Amino acid sequence: MIRVEDVTIGYGERIVMSGVSFEVRRGEVFVILGGSGCGKSSLLKNLIGLQKPMKGRILVGGRDVAAAEGDERQALLRSFGVMYQSGALFGSLTVHENVRLPLDEFTDLSLRQRDVLAHTRLKMVGLGHAGRRMPSELSGGMKKRAAIARALALDPPLVFLDEPSAGLDPVTSAGLDALILDLARNFGITFVVVTHELLSIFAIADRCVMLDASRKTLVAEGKPRTLADSSEDQAVLRFFRREAEGAQTDRSQPK
Amino acid sequence: MPASATGIEVGKAQDGGAFVSLTGALDVRTVGAARRDLVVKLAGVLTEPLSVDASGLDSADVSGMVVLWELANGLVVPGVRATISGLRPELEAILATYPSPDEVEAAISSPAESAGIHSLGRGALSIVADVRAMVEFVGALTSALVAGLRRPRAMRWPEVLRVVEKAGVDAFPLVSFVGLLVGLIIAFEAAQPLKQLGAEVFVADAIGIIVIRELGPLITAIVIAGRSGPALAAELGMMKVNEELSALETMGLDPLRFLVVQRVVAGTLLAPVLTLYSVALGVAGGCIVMGMLGYPFAVTWAHLQGAVHPADLLVGTTKGVVFGTLVAGLACLRGLQAGDGPAAVGEAATSAVVSGIVSVFTADALFAVLTYVLKI
Ligand SMILES: Nc1ncnc2c1ncn2[C@@H]1O[C@H](COP(=O)(O)OP(=O)(O)OP(=O)(O)O)[C@@H](O)[C@H]1O
Ligand SMILES: [Mg+2]
Repeated sequence: MIRVEDVTIGYGERIVMSGVSFEVRRGEVFVILGGSGCGKSSLLKNLIGLQKPMKGRILVGGRDVAAAEGDERQALLRSFGVMYQSGALFGSLTVHENVRLPLDEFTDLSLRQRDVLAHTRLKMVGLGHAGRRMPSELSGGMKKRAAIARALALDPPLVFLDEPSAGLDPVTSAGLDALILDLARNFGITFVVVTHELLSIFAIADRCVMLDASRKTLVAEGKPRTLADSSEDQAVLRFFRREAEGAQTDRSQPK
Repeated sequence: MPASATGIEVGKAQDGGAFVSLTGALDVRTVGAARRDLVVKLAGVLTEPLSVDASGLDSADVSGMVVLWELANGLVVPGVRATISGLRPELEAILATYPSPDEVEAAISSPAESAGIHSLGRGALSIVADVRAMVEFVGALTSALVAGLRRPRAMRWPEVLRVVEKAGVDAFPLVSFVGLLVGLIIAFEAAQPLKQLGAEVFVADAIGIIVIRELGPLITAIVIAGRSGPALAAELGMMKVNEELSALETMGLDPLRFLVVQRVVAGTLLAPVLTLYSVALGVAGGCIVMGMLGYPFAVTWAHLQGAVHPADLLVGTTKGVVFGTLVAGLACLRGLQAGDGPAAVGEAATSAVVSGIVSVFTADALFAVLTYVLKI
């Protein structure tokens, strides 16, 4: 579904990561891990084609995302559902209208059908009661869930979620995991998810990659269980064992 | 993506009603067409009772289920609720999470905004509340200003400087343009009637008084209110929306002392400087016109010197100080009053312009009365 080939990502002169290659298979839940600021959101932006890699190629469904232009790019983007880290709900629309917007724009359904679909999406993320509110009247976690509902509105075959469960309580978070799994298993939707929640990772991830800020590249790829149990890499082990940076290493050594 | 269509077959059921059998794909791409197709095919068929067999669907998604939902709720053939069978369990589960029609209705209908008279009344009330807020703000601001001036080190002068620089640069080109043009226009307009009286040379006198006392300060204040005021309001409004103001408060910092005082002081310092600059340009514009009318600069200058008194300059500058303070203060107030959500930032900026201009003209009227009474 997605092929990342030796990609370098950066802003201006500054390189955030380089030499990144991996593959996401159709219908799997693929998780991107890594410490804060290591470039997960940036990688996601590149996968979606909002930003062009400095080097390398990203193919989605066989097409180069960065090279797509015009109608081809529109069609490609429309097949994605994206939830941005900040939610990015439109402040001038109600939550219900936010979720209905993609349906308004890209389908020929009747208003009633669109209303029903939007409301069903909101119910799925547990926000059936909040449709009439404005985004500014939602809590942080509710905004995320509304944004997920919007990302799913067009039944996209490929969904990107940037930290969907950050700021959610364990129960709501588990509900979201169940929703992701249901959609992936039963409807063949491919998910690329950035998350830090260990519970969530073990619950949903078919495979994951881990990025590392200090080495500026991808340091591990595989099933989360395998990585947690038998990775050779210190950074990976620390992550899965929830150890603080430097807790194990010798601090007296100069860098 | 395979874009296969939905197969729809309508026939007579043994129980005397109709049956619909669905095959192929029923998803977000095909559901609209399927719905229309269904209505056409069901027209003229005896449809009570209606049963739907969905076992032939190869692929379906959440959106596709909307047609089945409509069928089941009697919304395709009005009043006829279909029984749906053969759905795969995961689709069955999706259909079960669909709301009831009443539920949707309740979830999206919002109480209609009452307009007209009500909003007029609310407008009147809000003006009263607004004036109250302004008075309170002036009180709080004055005490913060006094506190700031008493401890100049706590004043954060670099911030003041930054705002002066930013607002100054923002407004400078416009002030230059408008200032010069005002001088030119006034001179040309005054030249016509004065010429008929044979007193064309007194254009210089008129320019001096009108531009220095009245139009220079006013125009400059309007430019600042239109250009720098909304920028100030938007900046503070944005900080409010991003909860930066709350963060300040929880750190024990008063936004008034930490942010507003600096901006108001900046406005107070900047406006008279810009006023003097625009006055100078206005007078220069007048001189240019006089030159075009054939009067040498020396004559114009002599007339100007005779007509303009230091008191005029003092009035002009004082107006600049007052207008600048008003515009900056009100812009900050509007920023702090910003509501929630990004749209609020725009509203704060707009209302900063409106209240800035209103307050400048009000103050100017008071000045006119005051200078008349005091004979300055
Ligand atoms: N617009 C930008 N311009 C310049 N640098 C940026 C920009 N956005 C992000 N960066 C830098 O790129 C790096 C990666 O940022 P990114 O937002 O991708 O991190 P992240 O892994 O998503 O972090 P988090 O887990 O905190 O969300 C950071 O060092 C950041 O400073
Ligand atoms: Mg991020």
